[in-house]
Amino acid sequence: MAPEIKKEPHRKVTLIVLISLLAAFLIYYSVMSVMSPARKLEEIRKEYSLKTSGKDGIDKKIVNDSDYLRLLKEKAFLQSKTLMAVTDSIYLTLNMLDSTANLEISGVVVHKAKMSKMEISKILSGNENAVFSMLSTPFTISSALSTIKKEPVLIKYAPKDTSEYKPDVMPDTSIAEPVCYILEMKGGIRIYVYQDDAVKTKDKISLLRFDLTDRIKDTWIALKRVAVAKLPEYHPFIKIRLPRTDAKIIYRALPKNGQIAVFS
Amino acid sequence: MENEKIINDGAQADIGKNTDGANVGNVESINPKNISAEEDHPRRKPVYKFLRVVLIFFSSIFVILASVIFILYIVPVLMERHPDNKSELSDNKDLKKDTEYKKQIGLINKDIQRLSVKYNAYTSGQSYIVVNTTENRFYLYTNKKLIREGFCSTGSLTMLKTDRGDKVYVFKTPKGKRSIHGKITNPSWNRPDWSFIEEGLPIPPKNSPARYESGVLGNYAMSIGDGYLIHGTIYKRFLGMPVTHGCVRLNDEDLEAVYNTLNIGSKVYIF
Repeated sequence: MAPEIKKEPHRKVTLIVLISLLAAFLIYYSVMSVMSPARKLEEIRKEYSLKTSGKDGIDKKIVNDSDYLRLLKEKAFLQSKTLMAVTDSIYLTLNMLDSTANLEISGVVVHKAKMSKMEISKILSGNENAVFSMLSTPFTISSALSTIKKEPVLIKYAPKDTSEYKPDVMPDTSIAEPVCYILEMKGGIRIYVYQDDAVKTKDKISLLRFDLTDRIKDTWIALKRVAVAKLPEYHPFIKIRLPRTDAKIIYRALPKNGQIAVFS
Repeated sequence: MENEKIINDGAQADIGKNTDGANVGNVESINPKNISAEEDHPRRKPVYKFLRVVLIFFSSIFVILASVIFILYIVPVLMERHPDNKSELSDNKDLKKDTEYKKQIGLINKDIQRLSVKYNAYTSGQSYIVVNTTENRFYLYTNKKLIREGFCSTGSLTMLKTDRGDKVYVFKTPKGKRSIHGKITNPSWNRPDWSFIEEGLPIPPKNSPARYESGVLGNYAMSIGDGYLIHGTIYKRFLGMPVTHGCVRLNDEDLEAVYNTLNIGSKVYIF
């Protein structure tokens, strides 16, 4: 009986210490994470803010005027679209005001889609002249994570002679995989596209896996930074819901390093 | 001792009468039944120990899971609740009368006008065709108005490899902006190398009559550069499906309409 009496408090202390450590780490991680958006905004301000002093500086009062900012936003979107139209490539324009996602080539709208739901990061939706200046140049896709293949290429080996030749069978167009993807832009902004249509139960699991993969990847990077007392990276985001077909068309049409203009 | 005995006896008698009584706890230790339960205790001890281990295990799992969920799902929500990212907007009426303000608004309006004109100039009033390779559909426009739409067939996204792996062909329709380079009536197909490789046939020399096949491309063909064509097909049941080697196939009526609408230089937008 005697050794057990000694063991009990020891175990309790260990448990309390462990729980306290975990709680302390969670608080530390949360505080560091919550601080990261402010740092991101500071970075954007530093890089893109309009000059409010000096010879060519605009009066600070004007920069914060609602009418001026509205026009600045409109100009930023047009500027961004014009820059993309110069190329022969396919690009995407997201207009959060009229809920449209348009695929365009050289200024010609080749495909229109209606967003049913959208959510935009506070940083991007705020009335900040620096953000509008940032939006005046299109975002370039740096990487993508998706539930569907960009180009579902089928490998076929050439027959040795005509006896081995089989004419192409009708392709299977009934494949109905869930469509969900994340486009990461240079500069850290992310665009999340989800299919609007109802998802089958078995697809819910694959969507959950997809979502978890992204979250775990992000958290792992954040944890590594936090471990060395650095603020984690904050990724301003735009989340949109589109009909499945439109989401698929947009993903397959956009080039690997395609460009996107946003009107928030 | 006498008194004590009397009290004990009294308690025993009470328990016998009312086992649900509120004072049962006080007399439990002297209940003979409880005494035998205490004797059983050592035998139950492993069970309690096991239950305790299970409880600790599940509690630990719960704490770990809760922490993971907190990090993965709650922290991102907290990040979006940061307060200081909105600038204060002003709507000062006096400012709007200011000459500097008017000058700045005028400049920005001028820029918007200039950009709008520049941007709208990209969409010309000329005829053009839009090809959707995901849905295998085409849209024909004149004066910015849709005049015809229908099914087409585009690249199958097949990669053909030779046995030795020395030659690789990917059958996909090129995306982006192209234009009509040439228009031909009653075209005959000059079969490229891959069409022989695909069927396991020996590759004939260039300009060999074995390469020419007529009637398979329909009545018209329009070149869009790099060897890609918009043409007709004998495989009409495959329209609406990705089955070609990169060309855009149309049915006879659509092909004729497209041929008559588009001129050399007309734009072809493929996505």
